[in-house]
Amino acid sequence: MADKQFKKKIGDALGNNVLRGALGRFGDAYTIAREKAYEGYDFKAIRDNIERVKSSAASHLDEMLDQFEKEATARGAKVYRATTGEDAKQYILDLAKSQGVKRIVKSKSMATEEILLNKTLLSEGMDVQETDLGEWIVQLAGQHPSHMVMPAIHMTKEEVADTFTNHLNRLNEPEISELVKTARVELRKKFLEADMGISGANIAVAETGTLIMMTNEGNARLTATLPPVHVYLVGIEKIVPKFEDAGYIIQALPRSATAQQITSYVSMVTGPTPAYYSDGTVKDKEFHIILMDNGRRKMYEDEKFKKTFQCIRCASCLNVCPAFQLVGGHVYGHIYTGGIGTILTNFLNSEKDAQNPQNLCLQCGKCSEVCPGKLDIPEMILEIRNRIGEKEGLPFTQRFALDVVSNRRLFHALLRTASIAQKPFAKGQPVIRHLPMFLSGLTEKKSLPTVAKVPFRDVFKTIKQEVKKRKGTIALYAGCLIDFVYPKIGEGMIVALNEKGYEVVFPEGQSCCGAPATYMGDRKNARICAIRNIEALEAEKVDYVVTACPTCTHALIDSFKELLEDDPALAARAEELSRKSRDISKLLFDLGGLSSGGDGEPLKVTYHDSCHLKRKRGVSAEPRKLLSATLGVELIEMNESDRCCGFAGSYSIKFPELSGPIMERKLTNIEATGADVVVVDCPGCLMQISGGLDKQNPKIKVIHTAELLLEKRKKSQKRNKK
Amino acid sequence: MGTSRTIELYEKFKVKLEAVSGECYRVKTAKEAGELVSKVLRQKGVQDVALLDGLISQMGNFALQLGEAGIAVKLDHFREVTPDVQAGISQVNYAIAELGTLVQADADANVDQRLCSTLVPIHVALVSTSKLIPTLMDTMATLHRLPQIPGFVGFITGPSRTSDIERVLTIGVHGPKQLVVVFVDEQEEGVA
Repeated sequence: MADKQFKKKIGDALGNNVLRGALGRFGDAYTIAREKAYEGYDFKAIRDNIERVKSSAASHLDEMLDQFEKEATARGAKVYRATTGEDAKQYILDLAKSQGVKRIVKSKSMATEEILLNKTLLSEGMDVQETDLGEWIVQLAGQHPSHMVMPAIHMTKEEVADTFTNHLNRLNEPEISELVKTARVELRKKFLEADMGISGANIAVAETGTLIMMTNEGNARLTATLPPVHVYLVGIEKIVPKFEDAGYIIQALPRSATAQQITSYVSMVTGPTPAYYSDGTVKDKEFHIILMDNGRRKMYEDEKFKKTFQCIRCASCLNVCPAFQLVGGHVYGHIYTGGIGTILTNFLNSEKDAQNPQNLCLQCGKCSEVCPGKLDIPEMILEIRNRIGEKEGLPFTQRFALDVVSNRRLFHALLRTASIAQKPFAKGQPVIRHLPMFLSGLTEKKSLPTVAKVPFRDVFKTIKQEVKKRKGTIALYAGCLIDFVYPKIGEGMIVALNEKGYEVVFPEGQSCCGAPATYMGDRKNARICAIRNIEALEAEKVDYVVTACPTCTHALIDSFKELLEDDPALAARAEELSRKSRDISKLLFDLGGLSSGGDGEPLKVTYHDSCHLKRKRGVSAEPRKLLSATLGVELIEMNESDRCCGFAGSYSIKFPELSGPIMERKLTNIEATGADVVVVDCPGCLMQISGGLDKQNPKIKVIHTAELLLEKRKKSQKRNKK
Repeated sequence: MGTSRTIELYEKFKVKLEAVSGECYRVKTAKEAGELVSKVLRQKGVQDVALLDGLISQMGNFALQLGEAGIAVKLDHFREVTPDVQAGISQVNYAIAELGTLVQADADANVDQRLCSTLVPIHVALVSTSKLIPTLMDTMATLHRLPQIPGFVGFITGPSRTSDIERVLTIGVHGPKQLVVVFVDEQEEGVA
């Protein structure tokens, strides 16, 4: 759980208009520019290649490092293996001292930031200059980079000008081209005087002992050309087996990082190259490479975090993250920021340091979609969350809430009581917020729905099913929100499935899918929920299990299996359930879609992709086809239809200050379409968006696909009967 | 050298280079290249230039031509002269059509090659048209086939740039502010 100090940092970041403006503008432009940079290229093939070469290198790590060392040494390099950051620092310090170094230039290296190298060198009286413009600005301002690729993205030109003015003792105008010119002049002197260069590397090739650096400003080239002593600090995860393997990373890194086809400069260094010495002679430079572990191997040896070795540090996971876009990098507290940063911090700094920032992840999965290394960042963050939950336990209120949710009788009894208790209150004023679960929350920016008078489990008994040409049986898994808040969605599902020839059954013993527990890091209660539902649903007896909530679908298909993998009997049943579970849109589509129907009355709709349906299940075309096939429906696509609505389960309670602005962006995109209705496939999104629209634009209605199909088709049936 | 394949590769290179603010030319002979470079540098007001003499510039008598155009030519002591001269001329080994990228891959990792192409405000790169390679991946394969990977391989795509302040693109940070690429069709004697 996020502590007070962390909350304050978030508040400060949100209140910083400069930061919000810069991050917002970049985030908006990035998505489009990135797509354009990949135009004509098969992103899927590129990331498959990266996964292949990086994972193969990682799984033969010692072999690769040995080969790299052998090849680089054969070419004249001195290679040192540093187990810890301290080892690396000591080596560099000793080298600098032995070479009589006084002035050092650095080209961008996150690894040196990671070990706080500058501090050590400065304390020994050496002059250390960052030469990447962004890093230099941050260094002069006494700050840390807020982004791996764009270290000073949080600063305005006015702030940069002030920083230069203070440092250089002369006035600098906030004119960007002038500021860049100043940096060129000032740093040029430093380059020419430097007696040592320190660089990072983007890629290390085992086969040839080659290091590869990609930059735009030319500082890496100058650092690699001028000083007669040069040391590279390289994380062991940078290794690829073959020289040509590096090509895949060169294809992806600039496109994913800054939406460029290629950086202005790519430098490949193999062994020492000649340099000018101060006496004017030209000879091979003093050339060192440090291969640094500093927690990386531990990360690889952890089964759940192996894939971090496929990361190429492009930071695209930051660029598309709705939370990062609001708060920027400094809130994360350490060198590595954003989604991947949270994971790296956990291993390279400490688990404690990752405890607060891991909360920022919405689990929307957008980062995984764009990741060129095919990392499932949200899954890894969830694993960190779970481990914290197991180690430290959750705060009492959360623990209590989740214990209630996993106790079906108690939980359902509470929900039924709520439905009665809320009656005396004014319309829409929700007693529900007092409930100890994810339905509770703050109502500042949105209204909350009321608990349905009659839960779906009771409505179900009154529904007459008309099944012609019976093909089989489907178990309906309602999930809490459909059962107790939106029973109409369940009714829509039954009508549609009956039309396809299936009788629908409602197994009474079903209860919460456990997602609230899963996403809060409470694996114990999630497991209890999994077992209860497996036993209740008896997937063995039906043809399919259907849900209308993508988070429930994800639980039925993926989470239950993972939670029960240590119990062979239950795991087999979980597997059976997983195989038969479908989301309603996908199932209807798989069953051949619905016959054309609908009342034909014109209705403009726009469709919001739920994170879990699109990215966990890959379902996005199916609901659109179902909608378009309904007579009268005109589908208008909204901008950023697959961007998270900000609900994210308990997130909207933990971070209403972040959930709010994320939702507002969604509402703006919805309003811009001019649609009468927003269609969603997730009751959570439904609750979030309808709550927001209720306050901002009550004319626009929000409805689940199943409910829309029900309404439009029921009306047409009535009309046909007349 | 007028095959349709070459023309296609050159055209592609030119479009890509111009998209990143580079200037691109193509001439038949090394002599014409010398004339062109003299003219271009004079137009830019360049008064002195560091010339790392290579096969093309020697064949085209660059030193002489530039001198006749009134430009002071520095042929050595590059560590001293490159921080101050207004332009540098060097020959590069390959050009990647897919990206508008030049490739420096001298077998001896010549430090002067880097000084003349990095410290100067204007870099003029000469390249043999026959050294156009279609793609990045082809280039990686070409480099891999060399007897060994040269000590320094440098890809250059347009002038140096930054967007580190407010994401505003600014050309010319630590490296050149202008990049002029001249393709020369005339085959170099004795060079594959």
